[in-house]
Amino acid sequence: MMDRNLSAQSTTVLGLDLHSYTYLHAQSSVLSDIRLEIQPGSLTVISGHSGSGKSTLGAVLAGLLPRYDMDQLVGSVSVNGTKVEFSDSLQPRVDIAQWSKHVGLLPQEAGHYLSGIRGTVSEELVFCLENQGMPREQMHQLVTALAQRLGLEHLLDRHPQQLSGGQERLVAMAALAISEPEVLVLDEPLAGLDKQATALVSQMINLLRAQGTALVVLADSVHFWSHEADALWSLEQGTLQRLSTVDQQHQAKTSKVERQPASDDSRVLLNMASVQLAYPGAARPAVQDLDLQVRAGQCLGLAGANGSGKTTVLKAMAGLLKPTTGTLDTVGQTGLLLQNSSDQLFERTVLREVSFGIPKKSPLRKRVPEVLAQLGLEHFGDTHPYELPASARRLVALATVLVREPQILLLDEPTEALDEAGETILQEVINSVLERGGAVVLSSHDEQFMQRTADRVHVMN
Amino acid sequence: MPRSNKLHPFTILAIAVAVVTMTTAASQWWLSCAVIGLCFLITGWAGHTKKLALLSGAMLLPTFLSLLLIHGLIPRVPSPAVAQWGPLRVTVHGLEVALSLGLRTAVLVVVGLLCGLLIDKHQLVAAIDLSPVPPQVGYLLAATLFLLPQMTEKQRQIGEAQTLRNAGIGTGLTGWFQRVRLRAVPLVLTSMQDAQDRAVHLSARGFPATGVRTRLREVPDTSVQRGIRWAAVICAVLGPVMILAPTWFGIN
Repeated sequence: MMDRNLSAQSTTVLGLDLHSYTYLHAQSSVLSDIRLEIQPGSLTVISGHSGSGKSTLGAVLAGLLPRYDMDQLVGSVSVNGTKVEFSDSLQPRVDIAQWSKHVGLLPQEAGHYLSGIRGTVSEELVFCLENQGMPREQMHQLVTALAQRLGLEHLLDRHPQQLSGGQERLVAMAALAISEPEVLVLDEPLAGLDKQATALVSQMINLLRAQGTALVVLADSVHFWSHEADALWSLEQGTLQRLSTVDQQHQAKTSKVERQPASDDSRVLLNMASVQLAYPGAARPAVQDLDLQVRAGQCLGLAGANGSGKTTVLKAMAGLLKPTTGTLDTVGQTGLLLQNSSDQLFERTVLREVSFGIPKKSPLRKRVPEVLAQLGLEHFGDTHPYELPASARRLVALATVLVREPQILLLDEPTEALDEAGETILQEVINSVLERGGAVVLSSHDEQFMQRTADRVHVMN
Repeated sequence: MPRSNKLHPFTILAIAVAVVTMTTAASQWWLSCAVIGLCFLITGWAGHTKKLALLSGAMLLPTFLSLLLIHGLIPRVPSPAVAQWGPLRVTVHGLEVALSLGLRTAVLVVVGLLCGLLIDKHQLVAAIDLSPVPPQVGYLLAATLFLLPQMTEKQRQIGEAQTLRNAGIGTGLTGWFQRVRLRAVPLVLTSMQDAQDRAVHLSARGFPATGVRTRLREVPDTSVQRGIRWAAVICAVLGPVMILAPTWFGIN
């Protein structure tokens, strides 16, 4: 690794002077002309739509990119007084394990950070310390102190795979923090979290900052962070731009969607009476005594904490789960968008993906190009779904549902991974379903979206 | 904590290997029966009797039946018949061979299953991590042990998504094969994607360790257990030789 020591007076813990970053086989650079300096204890927020290069920037800061002998970075990265130069002719190999002692990255899918092979949260927290050969007593002391500081004592003996989404993110953040890197890069740290988990993550961020840890948050919108952040940036066309107050207000702007309210005598499309839902082998039912009615032209929102049964209810509505007691009646076909798009995509091109499961002679085949155009995916027909940005991938999953013209559209956390443009498309889709006499049931932790979209909200306990 | 966690996983494995090799070499029905009986006593102490009975039954019943078909119904040497149905007859010698082979297989299966039930997966991985073998061995074993439940969960999710698109909803054997065909490729692809996503973060967390590595988890061990392990390894190697040597030299 080529490096030189920087001035001892410099207070910057992480500096990036990037001229260009180009992926292997890519025609053009994904990032260009970026200068960033991170100070101890600061909170830097970088916003950008899906595919803008946020995750690439995060991975460059964390030393996970460029891939040696593959991608090309021109510029330099300074970490803790050491400057690493990259040029057309010189692409040094970065020792990721050493780099991560200074800069840690929490990926958007926090579970990917966890090793997946440890039996308790305590062991998962100290995974990197074990690899450094730290004595057991010292690890015990560190885990105890960290858990006390971050309020994680009750999770220490739990199995990491039995954690909720919010808890998993907290544990992953704590696992990052235990080796006390100077900088933490957090990719969409609040995506899919309920109010309580959001508060806990936010509290943890404040605690880490108070200790002097610098945080770089990559998010779709700066709205949540605007009051706390020391610096707000927007990543557009691969370049960073400082956000002004006007821009922040623009990003935070929300308004209720104007729609004709459904009449009370319109047809009932979905009726649930005293429904109890339970998973096979589970000790207790997931949902009890649920009464719901949705009429044509209505959009019903399901709110509630992680684990309150929102997904279970949507699955039951889609016919994946049969009620153990009570009645569930639907009129017309249902279509469910699952929370995790990756679970819903199997084919090697977008076109094949959207056509999957539709018989060759079915008239629904003719709807495929129409639906792709409606969702702005018409140019991605031959692209592999996994090569698309997260927001476009989410829209592909939505296309697989819409192509069947469901009478009742069921959406599980639809805004997760969607950028602003994607959210606008989603809003249009919901309106079009309601206008043609269908109904929409959606679950979301995004309160603003819920407020804008749903005619009424049912809170799950 | 399970009662068997007081034993080092290597102690259980060493004893199991010694028992299987010596019982197989001895090839005495009473010894095989005694070992199987002892295994059930131990599993009763550990609280897994029902599981052991079900699993070993599911594996051994077809084994016994196939051995009976091969050796019981088609005798290689002339022997009096125990029962006869037309051209089919069960001979004494055939039955003896089938039972002898079946009991030896039963010892291997029951002891193996008992090990699986007594040894905590995480304790085993920790024991391997703390031993001088390369760190990749522990990870490989752990990834393999935990892969099955993870893949089961993934294939369930894929199945749900495909059901939503009216794919793989057929019934009967044809439907089952169709489901397997439809789920196999996405299952492999998502598992590979998952492994790729995790790999970079494992590297960032210092895996594999280049120097000395430690574990927070404690694996109980004593000098007595270490002694037992050595004795078991010696028995596993020398026991069969001592049992079989008289036969080789024509003493019996």
